[in-house]
Amino acid sequence: MKYYKYNLLTAIIILLFKFSFAQNINWKTLQPSQRHIVNLNVGFDNATTVGIGYGYHFNTKMPLVVNVEYSMPMGNIIFDDFKTKIGGQLDLLRINSFHTSAKAYGIIRRFQNDMTRMVNFGSEFSATAGIYKDKWFAAGEIGFDKAITTHIKHSDLMKEYNPSVQSGWYIPTGGNLLYGLQGGYSFSRYDVYAKVGRTLSQDFKTQSMIPYYFQVGWNMKW
Amino acid sequence: MKSRIMYLAAFILLMAALSSCEKELNPKEPGMLVPKTVELDASLPSITVNGTQLHSQAFGDPADPMVVFLHGGPGGDYANALNVKSLVTSHYYVVFYDQRGSGLSKRHPKNSFSLQVMLDDLTALIQHYRSSASQKVFLFGHSWGGMLATAYVNKYPAAINGVIVAEPGGLTKATLDEYSKNSRRLKLFDEVSNDALYPDQLLSGKENDHAILDYKLALQLPYTYARNNDEGIEGPSPFWRMGAASLKKFVEISDNEGFDFTTNLHQYTTKVLFLYSENNKAYGQAFANKEAAFFPNPQVSRVNGTGHEMIYFKWDNVAALALPYLNSLR
Repeated sequence: MKYYKYNLLTAIIILLFKFSFAQNINWKTLQPSQRHIVNLNVGFDNATTVGIGYGYHFNTKMPLVVNVEYSMPMGNIIFDDFKTKIGGQLDLLRINSFHTSAKAYGIIRRFQNDMTRMVNFGSEFSATAGIYKDKWFAAGEIGFDKAITTHIKHSDLMKEYNPSVQSGWYIPTGGNLLYGLQGGYSFSRYDVYAKVGRTLSQDFKTQSMIPYYFQVGWNMKW
Repeated sequence: MKSRIMYLAAFILLMAALSSCEKELNPKEPGMLVPKTVELDASLPSITVNGTQLHSQAFGDPADPMVVFLHGGPGGDYANALNVKSLVTSHYYVVFYDQRGSGLSKRHPKNSFSLQVMLDDLTALIQHYRSSASQKVFLFGHSWGGMLATAYVNKYPAAINGVIVAEPGGLTKATLDEYSKNSRRLKLFDEVSNDALYPDQLLSGKENDHAILDYKLALQLPYTYARNNDEGIEGPSPFWRMGAASLKKFVEISDNEGFDFTTNLHQYTTKVLFLYSENNKAYGQAFANKEAAFFPNPQVSRVNGTGHEMIYFKWDNVAALALPYLNSLR
């Protein structure tokens, strides 16, 4: 069992690097010579979060950016909760200024409070389509964030109140559909962007406490 | 060739991952993330009334005046209210129950909950435990339980011989909204607020996936007792299992239909003991007086040295007010 999480993670990483397809990029202004993209962002993603990311641009026939992202919710305890994404995005279809891109990420997230500690392996797949110009872009996105498996370790407090609860690997642990809009402004070697949207649970009925996401970010390319 | 090897490696690792899934735990299965409820665990004390099975216990001499405790929530349980049991030594018959869909009581689909069903459960519970028609019945409600107790005497004023309410959230939609605004503010840059929201992406359940939703609701409890919380809650207190479907439905009813538990209260002329706590900054004397004024004959009393969870953290101070009140009506 203990090897399960490592096998799964390694498999996800390998697959993502093979299919790789991720960050809000203005494809129109991404030059073949620009190999590196650094991203800083702040927003709301199931909590008020701050994030940082790095992307590497492969100069392939179909433009591909592979990237790593890290985000964490705000609060006075720094590393107890976080989300990392490893994956990429591929500019699949270009018709003049119209671009369609696909993103795929493997996700590792952690959450801890007085009651529990959860470590989750998940995936996120999304598609973005819109108009990309030299100075701006605007697109719609739709995607699915799947929490594939989660290791739940109940705290001593939880076990004191409920001795029967079981710690271990739980599967499946849910998923959320996400859809929204994004847009940005590009200048020199920078993009600034904003995206906003909704989340909905996989049964299309239940929803998060705050079923919206929002992010503003900044990319630097060189 | 290199590409094929990588696909093969990924395939083998995925298969290895999937083959080890047999030891995985199912979050929907009761007894894993949350305890089993009465219909699944015969060792739990329960009563079957009004088409449901309630986790319930009674203490004391069944012939003594009955005090029925109503826990908070909606969706809480009576685990942190067992101090009330000490009324037995003053010759009261003390009855506890987890409300329908809460605590260790049987779960029901979200859309089956209504205020009338909760009132009918209480009527049936009183009938179940009552030993004679002359036995006096008192209701003791904390927080949401105080709202429910008020709703009961609002509808059946002749059925109850006395009521203690401890910081009922709001007896009308307007006062509930006022209290909620003052007590449960989400602070976007705060650790505990973000902790209450963050698990939504790791664990999600459908509308009636009770085990998952109940567990997720329990994860929000630290928000209620965070340092410097507005309600003056000192720390964690015991619970068995939250009732997420019940909470969600009653929030929906409040939001969509509103409520007013005071429309008929003028008929309940018996003195009502209205408790508020010294450390609950969101409640306070002014709000307590405003709520208590819905009753024709309220006695507003402050419980010193504690906050909203006064029954668990400062029972002696609560009992010092509750017992004289009950004794005056027995």
